[in-house]
Amino acid sequence: MKLLTHNLLSSHVRGVGPRGFPLRLQATEVRINPVEFNPDFVARMIPKVEWAALLEAADTLHLVEVPKGPIEGYEHDEKFLRQMHHVLLEVRTGPSLASLATAG
Amino acid sequence: MDQEAAQLEKRHVHDVYESTAPYFNDLQSKAWPRVRQFLQEQKPGSLIADIGCGTGKYLKVNSQVYTLGCDYCGPLVEIARSRGCEVMVCDNLHLPFRDQGLDAIISIGVIHHFSTKQRRIRAIKEMARVLVPGGQLMIYVWAMEQKNRHFEKQDVLVPWNRALCSRLFSDSSQPGRKKPCAHPERSHPYPPPCSVCSCSVCFKEQCHSKRSHSMDYEPLMAGTCCAAISKDGEEENGFYNTLGKSFRSWFFSRSLDESTLRKQTERVRPLKNTEGWANSTICIQPSRHSSLDLDHHEPFSTTEQYLDEDVFVEMSQKQLEWPRAPAAMKHQHGDQQGEVRRNGDGNFLEGTNASENCVNVGDVEGGHPSASKILRRISALDSTDSNPEETISVEEQQPNILDSRAFMRYYHVFREGELYGLLKEHVAELHVLSSGNDHGNWCIIAEKKDNWG
Repeated sequence: MKLLTHNLLSSHVRGVGPRGFPLRLQATEVRINPVEFNPDFVARMIPKVEWAALLEAADTLHLVEVPKGPIEGYEHDEKFLRQMHHVLLEVRTGPSLASLATAG
Repeated sequence: MDQEAAQLEKRHVHDVYESTAPYFNDLQSKAWPRVRQFLQEQKPGSLIADIGCGTGKYLKVNSQVYTLGCDYCGPLVEIARSRGCEVMVCDNLHLPFRDQGLDAIISIGVIHHFSTKQRRIRAIKEMARVLVPGGQLMIYVWAMEQKNRHFEKQDVLVPWNRALCSRLFSDSSQPGRKKPCAHPERSHPYPPPCSVCSCSVCFKEQCHSKRSHSMDYEPLMAGTCCAAISKDGEEENGFYNTLGKSFRSWFFSRSLDESTLRKQTERVRPLKNTEGWANSTICIQPSRHSSLDLDHHEPFSTTEQYLDEDVFVEMSQKQLEWPRAPAAMKHQHGDQQGEVRRNGDGNFLEGTNASENCVNVGDVEGGHPSASKILRRISALDSTDSNPEETISVEEQQPNILDSRAFMRYYHVFREGELYGLLKEHVAELHVLSSGNDHGNWCIIAEKKDNWG
């Protein structure tokens, strides 16, 4: 799954989340899937990002060049947007996380 | 009760979808126009979830938004994923999303699979939880009130017959005839399996053109394409012969898709026996009229009786809600019957003691004051995601393939106003913006209230 998706999930921290399931990202299962860059789209995603979760995920996956937070004027900062685009939409975690069957 | 409900849903929703998922491959069904519109109207950059996304037909409607698909059924999720969608397996009652993370949610043909009111409420509340204040939720559920078919009860099991479909479209040779539906195994050039087979997309262009001639006012079930076929008048015999073989164990409550068979029978007068079969398969009233004993139906009577009774006894034991048909509906039956007969509508009511039977509700709307609110049908698909199932096939060649009760999907069909009432009374965090009927579905758009946590 994409990290943006991961970011929307309720359990980001290591261990068990409020819904009762752990989300553990595995560094060995990272893939990069090129996605066409759409700056407007990325800019609109920025306010919705939960940064703590994103940074932890990025850390776990050993990603580099991940912004630490929204910078001022990010909407027009192409470098920032491209980095976020890459992190949120192009980095994919492996299939093990793609199925999140919650406890019924 | 919750556990029983969960078990029922496992058996008659989850297991069925899981088993039948391969036949939903590709274009499972057409995207409802109003749903598409809802998605396209969302602001660019919105985060949207399709809860109960199936094979993901709505996930790529709007490229300016980020759409996630969720479904309980692993195989369906895999199909969606193979199409490049961002999907995951999850449970509507326990969504894995954080609070207020999503700008919009669609729930198309999902809530009606929950077997108790409480679970339906929980599912809706769960979706409300993950919505941002001001975020919108669109819900589609199958309507009890249908234009050309009739549900006697709100809790129904609808069979699915893959084998029927495969038979129809692989066996019959139809020179010069367009084949709107494909064999589920895709031996035909047209991918979408027929709705009759519960697959759905029959709505290829060929179907459309045919439909416009004859079925404009039918809620178009997947089966429509099948109807279209017969209307061309070439294969009816083959079609019905094939149909007949597979209709050994019809049972129960009004299946969605009679439009197919009903329409066919209208055109196919000369086929005496098969016509009768088709008619009877359309509306079978389980417990009471399990013997469809029109003269031509010997093959049915006994088997069916057993099956009907069996099905519904089981259901009642599960303490499901079984609201009685309102008096109004019964009254309508009376009216409708006369009308049906006048219409010469090939309905098997003619000649049967069908007072309780599924009436060909040719004009349900007449009986509902709110009929005027019912949207004009455009074309397309009726009801829910997968629709059409006509029957359980019990083919001789494959006696073990389908248990007579296998692949029956549970639905709680909604009465007019029921969904609205549910939200109003039990989901205070949502404010209903609009509600209406779309192709045999009650649909609602609601908004998460701003001052809600």
